[in-house]
Formats: sequence, C-alpha cells, structure tokens
Amino acid sequence: MEKADVMIVDDEMIVRESLYHWFKKAGHYVETAASGVEALEKLDARSFDILFVDMKMPGMDGIEALKRIRETYPDTAVVIITAYGSIDSAVEAMKCGASDYLMKPFKPEQVSIVMEKVMYQKQLVCECSYLKGRIEKTTRFDNIIGESAPMLEVYRMIADVAESGASVLILGETGTGKELVAKAIHAKSPRNRLPFIAINCGALPDALLESELFGYRKGAFTGAVHPQKGYLEVVSGGTLFLDEIGEISSKMQVDLLRVLEDKKITPLGDRRPVDVDFRLIAATRRDLGAAVKDGRFREDFYYRINVITILIPPLRKRKEDIELLVRHFIEKYSHETNKKVNGVSRSALKHLESHNWPGNVRELENAVERAVVLARSLTLTADDFAFLVPNPAVSPKTRSLKEMESDYIEQILIECDWNVTKAAEILNINRVTLHRMINRYNLRQPSRS
Amino acid sequence: MNSADFRIGVAPFANAPDIALKVIAGQFVGAFHIAADILSPMENPGYAFDSRRGQYNAALILKELETVRGTPRFADYEKVIAVLDVDLFVPIFSYVLGEARLGGTFALVSLYRLENDLQRAAKIALHEYGHLCNLAHCPDGSCLMHFSKGIAELDGLPLDYCRYCSLALQKECSCKRSSREVAPVPLRS
Repeated sequence: MEKADVMIVDDEMIVRESLYHWFKKAGHYVETAASGVEALEKLDARSFDILFVDMKMPGMDGIEALKRIRETYPDTAVVIITAYGSIDSAVEAMKCGASDYLMKPFKPEQVSIVMEKVMYQKQLVCECSYLKGRIEKTTRFDNIIGESAPMLEVYRMIADVAESGASVLILGETGTGKELVAKAIHAKSPRNRLPFIAINCGALPDALLESELFGYRKGAFTGAVHPQKGYLEVVSGGTLFLDEIGEISSKMQVDLLRVLEDKKITPLGDRRPVDVDFRLIAATRRDLGAAVKDGRFREDFYYRINVITILIPPLRKRKEDIELLVRHFIEKYSHETNKKVNGVSRSALKHLESHNWPGNVRELENAVERAVVLARSLTLTADDFAFLVPNPAVSPKTRSLKEMESDYIEQILIECDWNVTKAAEILNINRVTLHRMINRYNLRQPSRS
Repeated sequence: MNSADFRIGVAPFANAPDIALKVIAGQFVGAFHIAADILSPMENPGYAFDSRRGQYNAALILKELETVRGTPRFADYEKVIAVLDVDLFVPIFSYVLGEARLGGTFALVSLYRLENDLQRAAKIALHEYGHLCNLAHCPDGSCLMHFSKGIAELDGLPLDYCRYCSLALQKECSCKRSSREVAPVPLRS
C-alpha cells in the first residue's frame, strides 16, 4: 500500500496514541490532533491524505469537523470513527462526505482495509483529474497551430473570455480557423460538457435557417409532418456557433436579437414560448462595422453580438507559423494517406513563405495534402509545390547567392537520397568539399523513422 | 551493557507455556544467530486487565515494562519479547496478536488466539522484533514484516524477512553485536 500522510483527530489521548503507533508501524507519516479546531490548524500548515476523526468530541464534533474539512480541503479524505452500534451517525457521516467509517473497537485489519480503499479512491480521483487535464489540453489549443505573437494573443483571448458567458464575435478571413477558435472557447468554458452546435448561416436560405434555429410544430407549414426542435432549444445550455453571421437577413437579425434579450423562443406554429439557455459565438469574414455604417447590418444586433471581439490574423501576417503548420499537416496526411513523407526542404519552406495565402491555413493545408499525395521522395521539395500560382501582388524576396547555393545543394542531395558520393558527382565537386558545404549550410538529412 | 553483549530476552508472563518460549528463543538463535535467553516468569499483569472487555491492555503492559527496563532482570538484554497466554487489546482495537513500539525495548506476543500453533507464535515474535528494530510494515507480501489481515494471512507468510528487511535489520543491529555474533541474518535468495 502507498504510504500516506495521516492525521488522527480524537480528544482521548490513549486512542490517539494507539492509532499513532499503529500507523507509524505501517510506515505512514502520522500527526495527531486533540480537537477539530487543532486539526483544521494543522491542515492549514500542511496537507494530509486522510484524517481519522472521532465522532464525539467536545466543542466541534466529528460531523462539524468533517463538513469544514470537506469545504476547505476537498482533496483530503475523512474516515469517521463512531461508537459501536451508532449506525445513524455513521450514515450521517457518509451523507456529509466521509470516505468511510469505523465502529470502535475495530480489528487492526479493518483499518488496513479502509486505508487501502480510501487511498485507492484518492488515486482514482487523481488519475481522473489528470486525464481531464489531458483532454482539456488536447481540445483547447492543440487543434490550433501557431506560436507567433498574434496567435499567442489569440490564445490569451480565448483563455480570458472562455470563463465568462459573454457573446463573442470572431473576425478573420476565410480559412483562418474561426470555428476552431469557437470550439476552443467552448472546450475551456463551464459549458464544455454541453453541446457545441455550429451553423453556417451563409449556406442556408433564410426560411430554412429560421426553422433550423427555432424549430417547428407539426403542421406549421407544408411538409412539417413531425415537430422538430430548433438548434436554439437543442443546444440546451451549450454553445451555439453562428458562422458567417454577416450573411443573415434583417428579419433574422431582429429575431435573434429578441432571443438574446429574452432568452425565449417561439417555435414556428406554436404560441407558447420556450426558455432557452446558450452562449452565442458568432463569426464573420466581413467588416461588420462598415456594414452597420452602410445600413446593411442592424446596429443594435451588432452591439449585442460584439461584446468581445477576437481577431484571427491572416496567414500572410504570421508567416513564422508556416513551418510549424506544414510539419503538422505533413504528419497528418502522411499518416492518413500512408505515404512515407517525413520532412520538408528549406527551399520548399521558402517557396511557401513567399506565397500570399489568400485562402489562409485552409489553403496551406490543401496544398500540403496535395504535395504529400503526389510526393516521390521522403522530403517535400519546392517542386512538390510548383502548382502554387505565384502571387503577383507580392514581390519575390531577393535571394543571396549563398541561399541559392544552399538550396541547390539540398535539392541535389534529396534527389540522390543523401548519397554524398553521387551528389558530389552531379555537383562536380569532391566529397570533402561537399561535406564541408553541408556543414557550412547546416543541411541535415531528414529522419527516416 | 557493551556492544559485545547483544542478547534477546524471552520473558514469560505467568502461565505462558515453556514450549512456546523455547520455540521463540530457538528461532532467534537457530535461524538468526542472535543469542536469546528464556527469563523466569513474571506475575500476571492484573493491573492491565479491563473487566468490561475481559482483555488485557497491551499499551499499559508495555508502559509498565518500560519502567523496569533498567532493573537487573532486563539490564543484559537489548530487546525483550514478553509472552502471554491472555487476550490483548490496545484502546480502539478489538484485539492484537502482538504489540511493540518502533525502536522500543519490549514487545508483547499473545498466544491466546493462536490455537496452540507455535509457528504462529514465532512469526509474531519475529514480526514484533522487527518493529523493535525500527522496521515498519513491508509491502512485500512474502515478508514476515508484511501486515497480515488475520490468522489466515499470517499462516501464509514465511518465517523469514525479505532481502530489504533483512538488510535493514542487519544495519540496525550491526553496531550493537559482538564480533563473534556478527554472523549476518541469512538473506533469502
């Protein structure tokens, strides 16, 4: 059995002594307290795994001590010691959160069994907490890739807004990952065990969007043969993500504004309002501020959904993340397509960084997927991304002679599968010179694992 | 007492049977090469009798024995195993088969619940002796210092310490043993 930090709380010294020596012999760390108040003072000073608390003590009795301990130190297990035959008090103790109880006098082996059980429970709680942390970590930011300063700011915003129930408006160009950010906010929020429902408002005609959001009763319109709950009702305490909110009609803006104000909806064909509870996260790639000025978007609805704004930077403004993203997508698609691709050359990265990426991360992902599928070597080269049309708006970066030399040598090495002798022949230099150049330009053969 | 005189006393209370004393003493001498003497019987510890429970309070007996530790009767013994054929308890526990304090001088062995099984008596004596030598309960289920939940588990334990407890015992006692008695506690392979 794992060694534990134990405290014995009993007003009778002889009982404290007996248990103290018993637990010491079992190898545990033991302290004693003569009252509930002393026990709480000792708990303030250091943590204990398990407390054995006598039910009957002058002043603060065992139940009161148990309640206080559970309230302030929920990780500490409490075993109540009751007099023989006092089943009622044992039941009361269990109701108040005791981990177990012992009726005195008890056999030494009973203490051992209770200790094993309680320590096992604590271990399970610890494991559970650890696994929850792992899940939260996985769903929180792991799907959003980026270490650039603008992305760190996005992470900070997600963490800051998640706890509140305020409406969030996510702004960003197409393909920047607005839905991923919305999911991350939901995963980190107190609503994370409840549904997350995403609707692309731009993809649905107004009438269909209305019935999807508000639901309808049987016979509300032709074809409504069965009643159907709307997403506003189905989401039931969770998070509703409305993508392309800038595309909805003025009527829908009014209807949603009323829902946000009243927290009630009236399904189509029904007269009775239904209470709803959800957190709204909206997203758009449009400039809603300008749309409000032009009168194309309602000002009152804009301010209602725009309590907190998160701006996701376009990929062209965080090019330092491109390498990280490319390596992530290579791993993803080499696994999915069962292709043995495990790296990307520096020349390929430079080629990708020179691209403007109007479709942002989504476009980059598609490009890497295509390159992986069609790749003929272990490492993706600039040639694998030749299909990318250069953006005339962006002037190609001026490259130095050394950079071009480094890229060319790397290209030849990859073509020769890093056979230095063969590469040296093609380059018409000797092997020693090639080795020196490999070291000078810090060229590394990608791992084959 | 100097370091050359490390001895164990096996001290019976009142009616403790001679055969149990001989088995316990023999175990120390034969298996562990520790000199052990059987002492003359002590009076029944009536002061520790709890008439409500019909048992003897082991904590009180140990306390009383500590007061006579320096007397000529026990002066020659580093550790003393006291053997009784009465039922023992310590407050809050319904019974104990043996009792000792970590690092103490005296240990108690009760024969009352052992159903005349002398091997059980020897196991309890050696287990309590381990406590006197500062050994805590051992997680190894095949070590004599493992806490046994009842007689059935006690029967399943070997009459031997695990390798680690043997080493700990050697370390604890080595400074007190004479050179001729230093024959190490046999290590289980």
